[in-house]
Amino acid sequence: MGLYVKNILTRGMWRLLALVLLLGAVSCENLQQDIDVVIPTAPAQLVVECYLEPNQRAQLTVSETAPYLSSPIPVVPSDVTVVISGPNRQRETLLYNPGFNFITGKVYTHSSRSRLLIRPGDVFTLEAKDTKGRIVTGTAKMPATVPLDTVEFNFNDRPVQQREAIVLGRFRDPLATLDFYRFQIHRDSISQNPEVDYSIEDRLNEGKEITLGTSYEFISGDLLIVTLFHLDQPYYRFLQSTQNARNANGNPFAQPAAIQSTVQGGIGVFTILSYQRRSLVIR
Amino acid sequence: MRVVVPFVQSLFFLLILCALPRLALAQATVTLSGYVRGATDQGVLPGASVAVPALNTGATADEKGFYSLPLPAGRYALVISFIGYETITREINVNRTQRISFVLPEAANELGEVIVEGSGTLEQKLQTTQMSVERLTTREAKLLPALFGEVDLLKTLQLKPGVQNGGEGTSGLFVRGGSSDQNLYLLDEAVVYNPSHLFGLFSVFNPDAVQSVDLYKGGFPAQFGGRLSSVVDVKLREGNPKKLGVSGGLGLISSRLTVEGPIVKDKGSFILSGRRTYFDVFTRQINKLNADDPEFNPIPNYYFADYNAKANYRLGPKDQIFLTGYYGRDVFGFNSANSFNFDFTWGNTVAALRWNHVFSPKLFMNTTASYTNYDYAVTNKIDQFSFNLSSRIHDIALRTDVEYQPNERHTLKFGGATKAYRFGVGRLQAGSKDGRLGFGSDVSYRGQEGALYASDNFKASDKLQLEYGLRATYFQSDSNRYVGLEPRAAVRYSLTPNMSLKASYAMMYQYVHLVTNSGASLPTDIWYPSRQSVKPQRSQQVAAGVSFLLGRGQFLLTNEVYYKWAQNQIDFRDGAQLFVNSDLDAEFLFGKGWSYGNELYLEKKTGRTTGWMGYTLAWSKRKFAPQRGTTGINNGADFFPTYDRRHNLTVVVLHRLTERLNLTGSFVYSSGAPTTLPQGRFVFQEVYGAEAVAVPIYPDRNSYRLAPYHRLDLGLVWNLKPNRLFDESDLTFSIYNTYNRRNPYFIYFDQIKDPNSDQVTGYRARQVSLFPIIPSVTYNFKF
Repeated sequence: MGLYVKNILTRGMWRLLALVLLLGAVSCENLQQDIDVVIPTAPAQLVVECYLEPNQRAQLTVSETAPYLSSPIPVVPSDVTVVISGPNRQRETLLYNPGFNFITGKVYTHSSRSRLLIRPGDVFTLEAKDTKGRIVTGTAKMPATVPLDTVEFNFNDRPVQQREAIVLGRFRDPLATLDFYRFQIHRDSISQNPEVDYSIEDRLNEGKEITLGTSYEFISGDLLIVTLFHLDQPYYRFLQSTQNARNANGNPFAQPAAIQSTVQGGIGVFTILSYQRRSLVIR
Repeated sequence: MRVVVPFVQSLFFLLILCALPRLALAQATVTLSGYVRGATDQGVLPGASVAVPALNTGATADEKGFYSLPLPAGRYALVISFIGYETITREINVNRTQRISFVLPEAANELGEVIVEGSGTLEQKLQTTQMSVERLTTREAKLLPALFGEVDLLKTLQLKPGVQNGGEGTSGLFVRGGSSDQNLYLLDEAVVYNPSHLFGLFSVFNPDAVQSVDLYKGGFPAQFGGRLSSVVDVKLREGNPKKLGVSGGLGLISSRLTVEGPIVKDKGSFILSGRRTYFDVFTRQINKLNADDPEFNPIPNYYFADYNAKANYRLGPKDQIFLTGYYGRDVFGFNSANSFNFDFTWGNTVAALRWNHVFSPKLFMNTTASYTNYDYAVTNKIDQFSFNLSSRIHDIALRTDVEYQPNERHTLKFGGATKAYRFGVGRLQAGSKDGRLGFGSDVSYRGQEGALYASDNFKASDKLQLEYGLRATYFQSDSNRYVGLEPRAAVRYSLTPNMSLKASYAMMYQYVHLVTNSGASLPTDIWYPSRQSVKPQRSQQVAAGVSFLLGRGQFLLTNEVYYKWAQNQIDFRDGAQLFVNSDLDAEFLFGKGWSYGNELYLEKKTGRTTGWMGYTLAWSKRKFAPQRGTTGINNGADFFPTYDRRHNLTVVVLHRLTERLNLTGSFVYSSGAPTTLPQGRFVFQEVYGAEAVAVPIYPDRNSYRLAPYHRLDLGLVWNLKPNRLFDESDLTFSIYNTYNRRNPYFIYFDQIKDPNSDQVTGYRARQVSLFPIIPSVTYNFKF
């Protein structure tokens, strides 16, 4: 809720700033210009993005940071070896072997041969090492799955041809733990951009039933995939920090913040996904 | 409370100590006392000089316009002067303690103040122990060019050395390396929590209603406390006790109207003043005209309005009461076609009742009860969902200040204050119309603050003058209690009649903190009390200076150096959740700050050409070590806050071309502001579906400097001849940013896209400026 409020206020502030810029632009002159900036470059760091899922092959992406004003083509090192280890002597070395996952719509650079056996509470580790001596390590623990109790939709009272539906998802927050959630709704396929994407924490709803909803934006015939992720705190913070960092570029009111990676020795995220997913057709 | 008991003992000891010289020096002296007022509106003139040249002595009217001058019996010529008023000389036979008040005629025209007025004010500045203070009258500020022609006292204060603004066109003050929440804004002794409208582009102080502003940057007198960096003491005018009058002004974006007059002739007067912006009137019409255009994006509605009222009444020769009120609102809203409605209002409400009692020419008391409130409310509706977010702070305060002058060598000031706070940190109501979704949260705290103080201004000799005092403060919020002892000291030594050395020391405590995560002054910033994990902020400042009176008293050259160090400075962890957070304490980080610099200031107040030049060389730094499960800020390394400026130069010139034409100009130059730009980026694909994005990586905080800021403003004030309608009127022309400099407001990095394929082909840095050259004209009238 706090993040939502922040976004709404940011939106409001931007409108207000637009008004100020309108005042400033009374002479109809362009108040923006390209400039040269000299920013010291830092050594490139390895960037790891890895989401493990129970009974799935591990697929991850390793890339490198780049100076902001450099070529937009991502730098992908091919000399990185990744080792993923887990309970029950699960240990696999992943070599550079890029591919594309058509289900998730994601590119990966490394993939495991076997499927991982993961249960809530299991701890996995990751180590990515290249020939230059750079090492990224990370540890992730699978959160318990929080059941998505109900998913429902309701139409507004407009004429049938124009009516739109909201979607509501309900779940109960576990007692006495600090919990973080992500609520996504995809239309047709999870490889598309989600229509709805909230990340929340339970600080204000501790142990209560939580209802998350959308605006009236779905129409009859829509196939929706509703996902409730139960996140661990490091992943939630990483998500928040990437969002904050992106919002800070160009926002004079934001305080630029560092990325809070879940890995050490580089940048990125290593986590185990725990989610419940429901599909529904609006009709 | 154990600390308070020794303090009370110390207070009595101090009073007794100060009374001792009276016993030793007991001789046949008498005391002249009274008020110095302006002739037109009978308003008191704080800082006015009552001098006795024959004895090389004199007194300065205090903040209530009251002076007290011990003299040996005899016949003397008294010279009474104040900036903007004609200097008068009165021959008085002083043979007994008596009250004599003076009324100074206004100078012939607005610029007359700098022509007729004697050099008394510069001499006063040379002679007083108080250093690091800037006094500004509305009359001065009205002559200077202003953005959109809107005269702004706080922006004029930014032209003084040691004072930084918070960004292009904003009225926020950053004083000697302090942050914007470390300024105490007082309106007739009541605190104003948010002194600005619209991101700080305009201050809440309507110049038509304000008499004067004093800015204390250091060497704080013991009667002031509660903030670390400065005190901005705003006094409202009292209204004309002789006749009913109306004045006003029509400007580019706002209009003002003031009515003043007697309640009972020569016994009491009132002033009512209001102003309102009107660009919402135009934007509404534009929106209406484009209502049928589906491509048109409606312009948000925005206006601000504020109203001041003040009344005073003399109950008798020794008693006078004053009632002050202020109400201001910013109103902003937009409704979009996709059912997104956003309404946002914020503003201050202030009321103060002051009772002024003169026990004797030597003993004077002032008691003020005040109420102040700042709140904002946001209402957002999307379809059938809505949320309301609001926050407020209000306080009810009572303070008494006593001034006692036992003899010509001592002036004692002592008093106390108590304040009850209510911090409505955040109240949220969210839900759907059908009630199936509902959510509420309310976080609020109470607090109490108290203070006792005593000080003595001791004139040890003609050359040496000392001011020393102690302030004891107390704060409580729930079960969290804090006390603080704040010693204050200042000394002035006259090397020659035209040269003084000065030094001062002050310790300050601040018990309430502004929760803000940006450099700008946002209406959503909230005040937060000191609590168990949020300790009071504390600072100490030492300053030393030398002042020369040059050019037969026409110029005053002052050089001051200062060093300020502060503990328990507040910032927030990266990604802090500042809204709707019941555990805001956990988001704070605590560190230390220090600043130092040199301020060179040359001012001229007489002749056809007047003005000032100031140059400041300064450093300001902060340090937040790793703590509370974080790496601190910058991994614990020092960093420059956004308001750090190495060099700052201001030149202000006012020149009387003719009887009716006055030309003014101001130039400012300051080093580039520190800012944080992304050093690198990485590609982030996200978990499912979302397109890959470039995420910026920020290096150390504020490690990049924007280009230097400089700007020239020009103004012309044309006093028109009296006509059938108006006794006085003028046209004020301003050109803001005369040479159209593109000063940086902020920089962002943008994608370069191939227009055909929409593919990103590169990145570029873009600089945004806020205001180009802006000419404006304002018509002011009075009848």
